[in-house]
Amino acid sequence: MAAAFLPLVPPLNEGRFSTLLGAVGSLIAFLAASHALLGGVPSHVDFRFWQGPARLELDALSAAFLLPLHLVAGLGIVYGAEYWPITLSKGFGRSLRFFFGVLVTAMTLLFVTRNGLLFLVAWEIMAVSAFFLVNTEHHRPEVRRASWVYLVCTHTGTLAITASVILLAQRLGSFAWSPLPPGALGSLDVWILALASLGFAFKAGLLPLHFWLPAAHASAPSHVSAILSAVMLKTGIYGLLRISSLLPGVPVWMGGGLVTLGALSAVYGVWNALAQRDYKRLLAYSSIENLGIITMGVGLGWTGRALGDPWLTALGFGGAIFHVWNHAIFKSLLFFGSGALLHATGTRDMEVLGGLAARMPRTALVLLPGVLAVTALPPFNGFLSEWFLYRGLFASLRGGDAWSSGLALLALVFTGGLAAVAFARFYGVIFLGMPRSEAGAHAHDPSRLMLVPMGILAALTLGIGLLSLPLLPVLDRVVSVVAPGQALSRGLPLASLVGRDFRMLLLLEGLLLAFGGLALAWLRPGARATEAPPTWDCGYAAPTARMQYTGSSFADGWSVFLPGVTQRVRSIRALFPRAHSFHSRVQDVVGEGLLAPWLERVAARLFRFHRLQTGYLSVYILYVLVTLLAVFLWLLLRARLPV
Amino acid sequence: MSQALLPTLLNLLLRAFVVLLLPPLIPGIITKIKAWMAGRSGPPVLQLYYDLAKLAQKQAVFSRTTTWVFLAGPVGTVAALLVASLLVPLGHTAPLLAFEGDVILFAYLLGLGRFLTVLSALDTGSAFEGMGAAREVSFSALAEPALFFGFAALARATGSLSLTPMLQSHGMWTAGHLSGPLMLILAGWGIVFLAENSRIPVDDPNTHLELTMIHEVMVLDHSGRPLALILYGASLKLVVLGALLVDPLLPVLSKGWLNGLAFLGGLGLLAVVVGVVESTTARFRMNKVPQFLVAGVLASAFAFLLLLV
Repeated sequence: MAAAFLPLVPPLNEGRFSTLLGAVGSLIAFLAASHALLGGVPSHVDFRFWQGPARLELDALSAAFLLPLHLVAGLGIVYGAEYWPITLSKGFGRSLRFFFGVLVTAMTLLFVTRNGLLFLVAWEIMAVSAFFLVNTEHHRPEVRRASWVYLVCTHTGTLAITASVILLAQRLGSFAWSPLPPGALGSLDVWILALASLGFAFKAGLLPLHFWLPAAHASAPSHVSAILSAVMLKTGIYGLLRISSLLPGVPVWMGGGLVTLGALSAVYGVWNALAQRDYKRLLAYSSIENLGIITMGVGLGWTGRALGDPWLTALGFGGAIFHVWNHAIFKSLLFFGSGALLHATGTRDMEVLGGLAARMPRTALVLLPGVLAVTALPPFNGFLSEWFLYRGLFASLRGGDAWSSGLALLALVFTGGLAAVAFARFYGVIFLGMPRSEAGAHAHDPSRLMLVPMGILAALTLGIGLLSLPLLPVLDRVVSVVAPGQALSRGLPLASLVGRDFRMLLLLEGLLLAFGGLALAWLRPGARATEAPPTWDCGYAAPTARMQYTGSSFADGWSVFLPGVTQRVRSIRALFPRAHSFHSRVQDVVGEGLLAPWLERVAARLFRFHRLQTGYLSVYILYVLVTLLAVFLWLLLRARLPV
Repeated sequence: MSQALLPTLLNLLLRAFVVLLLPPLIPGIITKIKAWMAGRSGPPVLQLYYDLAKLAQKQAVFSRTTTWVFLAGPVGTVAALLVASLLVPLGHTAPLLAFEGDVILFAYLLGLGRFLTVLSALDTGSAFEGMGAAREVSFSALAEPALFFGFAALARATGSLSLTPMLQSHGMWTAGHLSGPLMLILAGWGIVFLAENSRIPVDDPNTHLELTMIHEVMVLDHSGRPLALILYGASLKLVVLGALLVDPLLPVLSKGWLNGLAFLGGLGLLAVVVGVVESTTARFRMNKVPQFLVAGVLASAFAFLLLLV
């Protein structure tokens, strides 16, 4: 069990040794987390931290987040060794590896600590190391800007989390996190939860606080984007679950509120994903969508907990945790794939790509399961966790918060439809058809070190989709930690109540593959024409790549309704019109449209204090001196004053 | 023992017949009705069977742009629809398998078939097929909420999340407070049925201009056996979605085989109605189609709201 606490040594050594060390560290932690999830006894280490008791503990909830962390980290280290060799690019390779290790270690600590102060320390190390990772290519101005925006946002969130942790310490009596017995809500509890929700929503990229996310995730190296999207965003979910599990209960309206917030984020994220030309930004927006879906699950669980409904609690929290795993798998697969595309073509603009399925057949093959999973289609893993959430929402319609769950139901259905548009466009424009420019014409598959991690993840999307029955008791174990005292009272709700339905579901998914195989077998012996003609274009026998439907036109039906999209096209009037041009620009309407001008006004006010920043060391020493003097003076005076 | 075995066997036979042999008849009936309404004699009712038999023996031609994704569309659609057909109750006959939450699988299986069809259309690199694919995904993103609101309303009314209890609950029409919502749901689903099966007024499977097509243009490049799978899948989709419309309207009869016959009659009647609708209405302009679909969403959303409050 101690293996889980084995800190990942930040790989400092050259090349292979550091890769091996990192991968082995992740493997050990992964096995420890699996052991804890499969029913191992929670183990812990007690020590003192800042004159207070502190504890590192590996329980089912910690393990549920350590599992995807070390899966993605281990594969990411292997992938990164090829994707960004240590010898490449003026020494960035070393800092990239160092901070990747620091990030993984910090998140491991974050998930196992049971002490408020230690949690904040881990949180800060994670945030700062992620900043350095995003900033890897700091010679490019847009990368610098993205990483600074990220840094400011994460610290604003940390402010709210710090306040929440301090209030929580007031409530619990110390910074040690031991759960309060279930019972009546204290007066502080609502504030603790509200501040925690604010801070963690920043990290999870929920609706108005998401604007840092797309640029940061698009700018980072791809295996870093993978771990940021697949795991780091979920630290926000983890924080919500952990802090709420310490409190005696949750108010009902907060559950409904969280469901609504998640529903809005999901629709907003996927709608923005539709219009993106940059495929890494598209994936980042899809992360906002999926975090919204996970948040819906957490909100459902909170509602169930507030109403004392173990069934709803289990479906909500269970669905959320399941989607955390599934999203970690398919999103890291897609980001690894985007790295392979970037390697092969050198561009993030999907409009200049096309026809890569013929040129990078292996990449296209392993990415298709990822695309189907992110669209939540059977028989892949994304569908199963959404199935849980649908059942939770329907259960809540009957016995929970009917209005918020009705809204969330609509949002989930609509999200599914729009995700199909966004990812049909993603896969279709990049991989299918003909190359639209020279960039993609000579692309080729990456080497095995990059393909194997992707292959493992692709196999997992299908494997979980077909064989996840043993996961039900595991989910129950996690739920009993998140909602103490409730789910346990009636045995294992998921395993016993959903078990039969779930088995049928998996059976039918297996049948789906069997039918597909039969149909394919029937096609095989069919006679096949020897010569391959061009695609039928209404009798026009010389179609060119430029005649294909582009990504922009594919999403046009929806993106024109998106408030942030501006298009400029001149109307064509003459009988023989001259050359015309079409411009389309996408703006994040909440982030860049509403918040950015407001923030600029605030910044302009704050610039008045800029005069104090002279840049001379002596002036700063003077400030320190003046502050010290003022403090002494205040201490002196306070002793003299009455009261 | 034998008394219990016989109805089960009959039921299985009925299902195999409905799923495997019957579907190509439905488009035949629709075409025949349309021909009669127009004063022509039209192709034989069994025309699609002849077509399928012929296509099964023909060479398949693959454009030089295509890859293996090109086959995913036909194969995936048929597989998904076959599984979906196992979940739908055929009238009031005994269900084959039903479990809580199978509606969600049902809806997402339809989504899977559509998604793979879209990918195989994009695989050809043709401008027309891209256009059809874009239209298909956009319109179905509107059709899905209409389908789901209907499911949500029925789930709230019947307390179950399985297709069989939802569609087979007896006496929905006689319970006064349910007949209104049920009418709205059927109206919404009727629109979904027309849109998903690419019928007039949303789409016209017989039009000859690629620019105006939605579904048909996506399969322009398929030929031979893949095309046969697509045609069979389209007719199976008519049956599977048609069952959603027919089931709640059927009376409950005393004998199992009578219920089976009633279902077949209902399907035939539905085909006649579709033929009449197609003959008497014109196709919508493409920008009217979303409005039509939103009307479907609103109808089932109203049904849902009526049951919610």
